[in-house]
Amino acid sequence: MVSYLLQRLVLLVPTFIGVTLIGFLIMRLAPGDPAELRAAGGLRGAAGAGISLEKRGVVDEALVQWRAQYGLDRPMHIQYAIWVKNLFTLNFGESFKDNQPVWHKILERLPVTVKLNIFSILLVYIVAIPLGIYSATHLNSWSDQTATFGAFVLFAVPLVWAATMAIVFLCGGDFLYLFPPGGLNSLDYSPDWPLWEKVSDQAWYLFLPVVLLSYDGFAGLSRYMRASMLEVLGQDFVRVARAKGLSERVVILKHVLRNSLIPLVTILASILPGLIGGSVIIETVFSIPGLGQLGYEAVLARDYPTVLTLFTVSALLTLIGILLSDILLVLVDPRIAFGRRGQ
Amino acid sequence: MARDRSWKLFLALLFMLGCGGGERAGTENRGTQQAVAKEEPAVQTTGDWLIIHSLSDPEQLNPLTSNDSASSDVLGYIFEGLLTRNPRTLELKPFIAEARPAVSKDKLIYTFTIRRDVRFQDGRPLTGEDVLFSIKAIKCPLVNAPFLRVYYNSVVDAQLVDPYTIRFVTKEPYFLNEEVLGGITLLPRHYYDPENLLKTVSVRDLGKEPSQLPDHVKRFSDDFNKNYGRNPMGSGPYTFRSWKTGQQLDLVRDPEYWGNGKPGIDQPYLDLLKFRIINNYDAALVTLKSGGLDYMERLEPVQHVRGTSSERFKRQFQKLEYYSPTYSYIGWNNAHPIFGDKRVRKAMTYFTNRKQMVKTILFGLGEVVDSPIYFFRPEYDKTLPSYPYDPKKGLGLLREAGWSDTDGDGVLDKVIDGRKVPFRFEIKFNSGNATRKSAALTLQDELKKHGIVATVRELDWTIFLDDVKNHKFDAVILGWAMGVGDPDAYQVWHSSQAANKGSNAISYKNPRVDHILEEYRREFDPKKRIELYREFQRILDDEQPYTFLFIGKLVSAVQRRLRGVEVLPGGLRPIEWWVPVSAQKYGNRVTAN
Repeated sequence: MVSYLLQRLVLLVPTFIGVTLIGFLIMRLAPGDPAELRAAGGLRGAAGAGISLEKRGVVDEALVQWRAQYGLDRPMHIQYAIWVKNLFTLNFGESFKDNQPVWHKILERLPVTVKLNIFSILLVYIVAIPLGIYSATHLNSWSDQTATFGAFVLFAVPLVWAATMAIVFLCGGDFLYLFPPGGLNSLDYSPDWPLWEKVSDQAWYLFLPVVLLSYDGFAGLSRYMRASMLEVLGQDFVRVARAKGLSERVVILKHVLRNSLIPLVTILASILPGLIGGSVIIETVFSIPGLGQLGYEAVLARDYPTVLTLFTVSALLTLIGILLSDILLVLVDPRIAFGRRGQ
Repeated sequence: MARDRSWKLFLALLFMLGCGGGERAGTENRGTQQAVAKEEPAVQTTGDWLIIHSLSDPEQLNPLTSNDSASSDVLGYIFEGLLTRNPRTLELKPFIAEARPAVSKDKLIYTFTIRRDVRFQDGRPLTGEDVLFSIKAIKCPLVNAPFLRVYYNSVVDAQLVDPYTIRFVTKEPYFLNEEVLGGITLLPRHYYDPENLLKTVSVRDLGKEPSQLPDHVKRFSDDFNKNYGRNPMGSGPYTFRSWKTGQQLDLVRDPEYWGNGKPGIDQPYLDLLKFRIINNYDAALVTLKSGGLDYMERLEPVQHVRGTSSERFKRQFQKLEYYSPTYSYIGWNNAHPIFGDKRVRKAMTYFTNRKQMVKTILFGLGEVVDSPIYFFRPEYDKTLPSYPYDPKKGLGLLREAGWSDTDGDGVLDKVIDGRKVPFRFEIKFNSGNATRKSAALTLQDELKKHGIVATVRELDWTIFLDDVKNHKFDAVILGWAMGVGDPDAYQVWHSSQAANKGSNAISYKNPRVDHILEEYRREFDPKKRIELYREFQRILDDEQPYTFLFIGKLVSAVQRRLRGVEVLPGGLRPIEWWVPVSAQKYGNRVTAN
């Protein structure tokens, strides 16, 4: 097992380098110039009326200065080499926007995004797995079809629309006022509040974002679960179990469910990067300062250090996730062994 | 019942987004920015909060290295300059300086005397040393402020005459130098340069090559660029308290503000200014309605027309409409074989239904303009003949210029330099700007009726800008910010600015205009400057190098408990607002976070 792990770990290195090279090239070859964007007064200036353009004539000299300051005037391959070198010394560079270390900016936003994603992943699993089981055991019944239909309808509802509707109807304004329309804490929130109040305040603010972040996951995962259950249900040992006279409950929950969970382990691989992935849409609509927002704004502003760091981190987490799920698969399924079978 | 109405409103919003028409919100005429809501002549009083909508985080709070509007919105409360503008008359007036500067005969040397009663927020006095440090920090080539530095290219040197008098030397006579110098953000030297590393270098030294600068200047710059992004400290009426990224930023009124009770200095009343960062307008409007915001500087035009007209909304908030000094235009490439002829450009303006565009594209929130000068400026020529929508006149002009459909293919043509040229061209604009897109499509549609083929092309901002700078276009739709201060149109209209990727991207060239623009910059008599610019505007009006489109209006919403809310030439000024004690919502509570 140790040699297998080593082998896998060594293989990660070229994969990782390939990924960073592609990421770097995509980002750098995309049209757009961070210096120009800064000269135009940040994103708002550029998207708006073209304000600040009157400085144009004298600004070119400033652009040259600015590029030199960040080393953007050097040849591309040298910039890549410098960047990779810095990566290995864990120096992720400084944001073009405010000269702050990118790493600080990420750490600042990490807790929010992780919190949001943990809750939403939990919610997806709590809802989707029972739903899948139910659908599989009540195959083609009226309720199975309703559940399927419902899941797909949810899957098809665009998130931006749903989120905007939720804000308009449920968050004050002219209709119901059940939840706050955005943000993370109440205006008068203070760290001195008793724990219970802090938790309930947080729950009140996170409820809508978490629900909205989860609903389209219901369809995917419950379908997955249903298919997996159906496959196992058709196997001989299930018939044997039933023939032995086991109750249907035991058959389903003990024998079928356990076996049909195995394929789900592979999905776990995507959870790790998903934890920091963040949702651009939800974070934007609800003004939640998470990593999705950070990444999105960085891409628009061509803030290369920030984008590339986020990209690298999620690439790394994906690779680790895949490795972990491979290991987990061996642990839950005795039919799979480490290394090449039969050696 | 109110619910019913809201439902209808909501459905209307859903189905009519972008369709135009519908109820028109009341608009006032141009002339003066309208003043509103001076209800009770009660005494101003301190206390209460103002929660302000901010669409994004400031980039950073270092006043020299930040270059975005969200930062300057915040920093304006924390830092001050030598001079300021009277918000009502727009005249320059002394602020940290005792008086406007003494200017030498050759108009090159400006001497400022500094007030002796000014204190920074930590209680230390502001002296000439701080002013000198501030200009050094701007001029230092290693400080990450290239976009600010270009404004100070004209400053060659600065010295202290005595601890409270400073003298600036400028490169050439230019009437705007006073404003440039008066606008220097005054930084406390002891805070931003605690080791006094810039002491030994002079402003003149800083103009040298960066590589020749001594090491301690580099040390200062590194420290200054990196460590002052989130902890600003100045001499202004509000001190910085906290900033939670992506959530909120708090400024607290400084009870020890040096200007308290001083005549001619703005008196702050609100105890806390809270900027809430909400990065989309829908959520911001809902937050406003549910009481989480007191002030939205900008409502989307569609929100103005449909989301904010209920009685309930009007009871809680006042809406204010005012012009924002930014105009849109269609720029014709004057070096293009078709648009080199002024009759063609004039015809294009006649084909452009600008009034209709204001009505349908801007929901009536705007005004047609005919000149690059803001219409509230004294330089603006009110007698300028406007070009109405008149396709017949346009066609007449085209015929006069030799355009007709000789081959019967439905497209006008003309022989230029021995070649038959059909009237086809391309209009470029930046993607994501719905206003410009609609304007382009409207014009395209109109031109089609007259045998002119215009294609419309949307480009990513940076690519678009590149094309504009390199004159790679037939026609572009763009905008210029004008500012409310003295205009200087040199960079946009002088023929020298057509080369080297200058701002005269349409290659406009007129010797008389060149002469006027040069004279204007050297002219220190405001009356003569006005005369010069009136003539300049008449020439532009006749030549139509641009088809000037419109100036847009902003619509702001302010909670009704705030008093002293007034529309000024430069927009709204929350620094003047206050809340009567009986109406205060947050009282004197400033402790909460």
